Amino acid sequence: MARRRLALPAVLLFAAGALAATGCGASESGAGGGTPEAGGELTFALASDPGCVDPQQQGNNDAIYPARQLVDSLTDEDPETGDIVPWLAESWEVSEDARSFTFHIRDDATFSDGTPVDAEAVRANFDSIVELGARAALGSSYLAGYEGTTVDDTHTATVTFAEPNGQFLRATTTFSLGLLAEATTSLPPEERCTDNIVGSGPFVLDEYRPNEVVVETRREDYAWGSSLWRHEGPAYLERLTFEVIPESGVRTGALRSGQVDAIGGVAPQDEAGLDDGGFTVQSRVNPGLPFGLTANISRPAVSDQAVRRAVLLAIDRQEVVDTVLSPSFRPATSTLAHTTDTYLDLSAELTHDTAEAERLLDEAGWRPGPDGVRVKDGEPLTLTVLWAENFGPNENALQLIQQQLRAIGVDLTLRSTSIAEFTALREEGDFDYTWGNATRTDPDILRTQFSAGLVNVARLPDGSPLEEALQAQNAVADPEARAEHSAAAQRLVLEEAYSVPVFELTTVLGIADHVHDLDFEASSRIQLHDTWVS
Amino acid sequence: MSGRAVRAIAPALAGTGGARARRALAFWARRPGLVASVLLIATVLTAAVAPGLFTSQDPLTGVPADRLLAPSADHLFGTDQLGRDLFTRTVHGAAESLRATALAVGLGLVVGSAFGLVAGAFGGLVDDALMRVADVLLSIPALLLSLTVVTALGFGTVNVAIAVGVTSVASFARIMRAEVIRVRDVGYVEAAYASGVRRPTVLLRHVLPNASGPVLVFAAVEFGTVLLAVSALSFLGYGAQPPEPEWGALVSDGRDYLATAWWLTTLPGLTIAATVLAANRVARALEAEETQDREPLP
Amino acid sequence: MARYVAWRLAQSALVLWAAFTVAFAALYLLPSDPVSIMAAGGGEANAVSDEQIADLQRVHGLDRPLWEQYLDRLGNALTGDFGLSVQTGDPVTEVIAEALPGTLQLAGAALVLAVAGGAGLALLATWTRARWLRQVLLSLPALGVSAPTFWVGLLLVQLVSFRWGLLPAFGQEDWRALVLPAVTLALPTGAVLAQIFARSLRTALVEPYADTARAKGASRARVHFGHAAPNAAVPPLTVTAVLLGNVLSGSVVVETVFSRSGLGRTTAAAVDAQDIPLVLGIVAFGAAVYVVANLLVDLAHPLLDPRVTVGGPAVAA
Repeated sequence: MARRRLALPAVLLFAAGALAATGCGASESGAGGGTPEAGGELTFALASDPGCVDPQQQGNNDAIYPARQLVDSLTDEDPETGDIVPWLAESWEVSEDARSFTFHIRDDATFSDGTPVDAEAVRANFDSIVELGARAALGSSYLAGYEGTTVDDTHTATVTFAEPNGQFLRATTTFSLGLLAEATTSLPPEERCTDNIVGSGPFVLDEYRPNEVVVETRREDYAWGSSLWRHEGPAYLERLTFEVIPESGVRTGALRSGQVDAIGGVAPQDEAGLDDGGFTVQSRVNPGLPFGLTANISRPAVSDQAVRRAVLLAIDRQEVVDTVLSPSFRPATSTLAHTTDTYLDLSAELTHDTAEAERLLDEAGWRPGPDGVRVKDGEPLTLTVLWAENFGPNENALQLIQQQLRAIGVDLTLRSTSIAEFTALREEGDFDYTWGNATRTDPDILRTQFSAGLVNVARLPDGSPLEEALQAQNAVADPEARAEHSAAAQRLVLEEAYSVPVFELTTVLGIADHVHDLDFEASSRIQLHDTWVS
Repeated sequence: MSGRAVRAIAPALAGTGGARARRALAFWARRPGLVASVLLIATVLTAAVAPGLFTSQDPLTGVPADRLLAPSADHLFGTDQLGRDLFTRTVHGAAESLRATALAVGLGLVVGSAFGLVAGAFGGLVDDALMRVADVLLSIPALLLSLTVVTALGFGTVNVAIAVGVTSVASFARIMRAEVIRVRDVGYVEAAYASGVRRPTVLLRHVLPNASGPVLVFAAVEFGTVLLAVSALSFLGYGAQPPEPEWGALVSDGRDYLATAWWLTTLPGLTIAATVLAANRVARALEAEETQDREPLP
Repeated sequence: MARYVAWRLAQSALVLWAAFTVAFAALYLLPSDPVSIMAAGGGEANAVSDEQIADLQRVHGLDRPLWEQYLDRLGNALTGDFGLSVQTGDPVTEVIAEALPGTLQLAGAALVLAVAGGAGLALLATWTRARWLRQVLLSLPALGVSAPTFWVGLLLVQLVSFRWGLLPAFGQEDWRALVLPAVTLALPTGAVLAQIFARSLRTALVEPYADTARAKGASRARVHFGHAAPNAAVPPLTVTAVLLGNVLSGSVVVETVFSRSGLGRTTAAAVDAQDIPLVLGIVAFGAAVYVVANLLVDLAHPLLDPRVTVGGPAVAA
């Protein structure tokens, strides 16, 4: 199984929860300055083919860029503060037990086919997302335990769950729960990938030619943007063209030669050149789980906490960032990236200490073997890591980590797979570690990843202390109580070294100087309503 | 390899007599390109078997601080993005690339020859059926056929070798069949049949050895093409597992650094091109010798 | 003649059917699990339940016996329906039709360059009296067939685009962006053409009719271009189908290197995503191109070369 793929999503695909709230406010933004001018076009180069531009069916960043512009969400999240603010919903109430959520929807929004965005539309969307199941993986996981949506009046809808669902409010900020017209929700999933995607967003899908281009045009009567956006009314840009250019070198070249106005997935080695060449390199750390190794504790070697801790201590995060990434990136400082809600700084736990790592292994009975690889009971300490190239620098990062682990006598074998096969192989469990990340602004991403009933990448047994903390943070609506449980979970993951975070994924864009106010929303995806060109 | 087939490279080694040696010397002197090709192929083969003779560095472990250094006396091919010596990686890559190539050619040779042997020897319906299968295999463009196999089997060096090997089965089958038909009716084969030797024995003992010359020469001809195909699939990302330094994968790894580190793509690519060129040159010499030697059978 | 045409048509249809069957067998019998791959979608952190898997299997007809699926697919393929792409849910035929123009443009330009370059080189090499020039010219095709396409493409991007800034490395509309990929794709094909044509030219120049023409006082140019060249063009023509197949194969690598959209990149993407219906459709398309090209060449052969009589053994099938 080998994989060296460059012509693939350069930016994280394993966007688990991909929280999408569009929020920019005062956040990192494109080169500002001057008075915004309406009109003009923007050509943006994507690092991989979206495959499907239905926001409800997608999770990969390159698909989200065009998809996000087509739909509005009930709420939005401020990227700076993490606050949930109005968008399509003017206000909302959450029950004490976090089981029912009532949204009051503004009465002037319409889908691009003229049908109203109302309580009935909310119900139709959530019902259909649950029905889509695996095809709307993110949305349906946010709606786990969905009992139904009641239409209280034309513009009031109440969503109820069988169990407490503390993460749901923030989930309504995502593109995954963005609202589509009945013309779309009534169709089977395969008929709403390249066509028939009718939303209420600031842009309307013109055409999508797979592996080539996505074209969108401005909605002239748009007037119900997020409360975070810089201006009201229709978008400034008249037309968006997303070109698919998988080769990172060619992509950078296209930006330099003026063939495109902005590019995604800037390769670390191209950043400095763009900076010097009169282009803006704009970046923001993706919230959620940083890139790292997650142990499969059902395997004998890594079922031992000492081995997992040794791996955690043997990795030199700073060297990884310095060697294979760029100054835009930061080493991981916790189980969650620092842009995630309820993030707790645990950098003191994530030190690089090979002496301690070796001591742990010695103590656990792993003795240096003849070829430098440690041995116990005749078995070499060979660990397999399953990975896919959903992010360009993965291969280099893993090769460097392989070298670093080799220094303490751990032999790391890289087993790569296509992105398509990754999930299936992960289910099989034939590996010691998986390499990956997950983008989401809500700490509930930890539960999605580690809970025994869900993905459970670490293969944790039911009823572990971590499980309790994970369930507890989702069972309450109160932010402070959630933060407390989330902090406990973040600590437990590192103490047990179930997961070894290495670096925070950073979305890096290259932008020409005539493009302004190209903003990141809370999940570090782009928002083009306020973008303008001069 | 059959006696006939090796004679192209053999003259220098074969004769002890002065005249013979002089003739051999003249043969090589007239063909400096062939000499260079033989030397290059010998070097690459040596690198594949004993990389330690060329370099003492580790192909898998680098010095991060020394990354992306241009070629110099210390690093003939420069260093890569992790500070590994690219010359060392290219030398060690020879083993992986050549192993995959040999496996692919071997698969085509063995399976194809078996097809051709059976088709030619039995004739009639068997022949028709097998040769139609060969036609079908030839009707699918080679890379598409390989990609189909890769899609089904998954990625990896061995799977890539199988995928490429499958594409040459049909050509080997055709050549073997033609040879079998040529020799099956000649005197000694008929004599063997007449004296009651069983069919499989005749096939293996009399037909196969006499028919194998052109097939083996074709294997040499295929070598270059197959190396290119294996490299292309590796380049596309279906082959070797990192950090293994397979040649096509080395070029692929370097393509993100086109603007900053030219040596990462240029030098491993040049190695592939030179090896294929040399292999083709040697194969052409073998082919010429083969045709020239092709005196009518008794 | 009519019988020959009918026979060749039937034979072509048979080869196509068999190619489809071979590809189907490889893709559906060998281990790979289209459904769990489909369920992977693009998101990662999702637990897909067994019922959801079963649902997907039912939707795509994968819960039925293999032979039933085969007959179904084959029947549909006859009407031009190759099922739906797993990635986008669009009909495979539509995906191929949308990707095709980009590749036709690239392949067309490459073929023109390959034929012009290959034939020109062969004609010049056989025409020139300068021994050194002939040697140099005749050794060029060997270089052309030995250099990996992906490497040549990267070298061109690196030098012509990045270093000298002469031509763009990317672009779909601009004709200048077509130059580098077309040259890259033309190189191996042109080299093969040059080799075959040069060989057949040398043979043709010593044929009796060339001598006769000379004896009748025809000029050297007249003998070379008027008599030998047309006759020598027949052997290269018989490999048209193989060369078209090579160009189609080459487009996978070239379109990847230059990030061009077209059938080649669609193919690479389909393999990555294990989009089995799409891979099957593309293979069937590739086989059809080969078979049709061969059929046309075979049918045209008797017209071009009076030595071939109708009803004689078919050239390669």
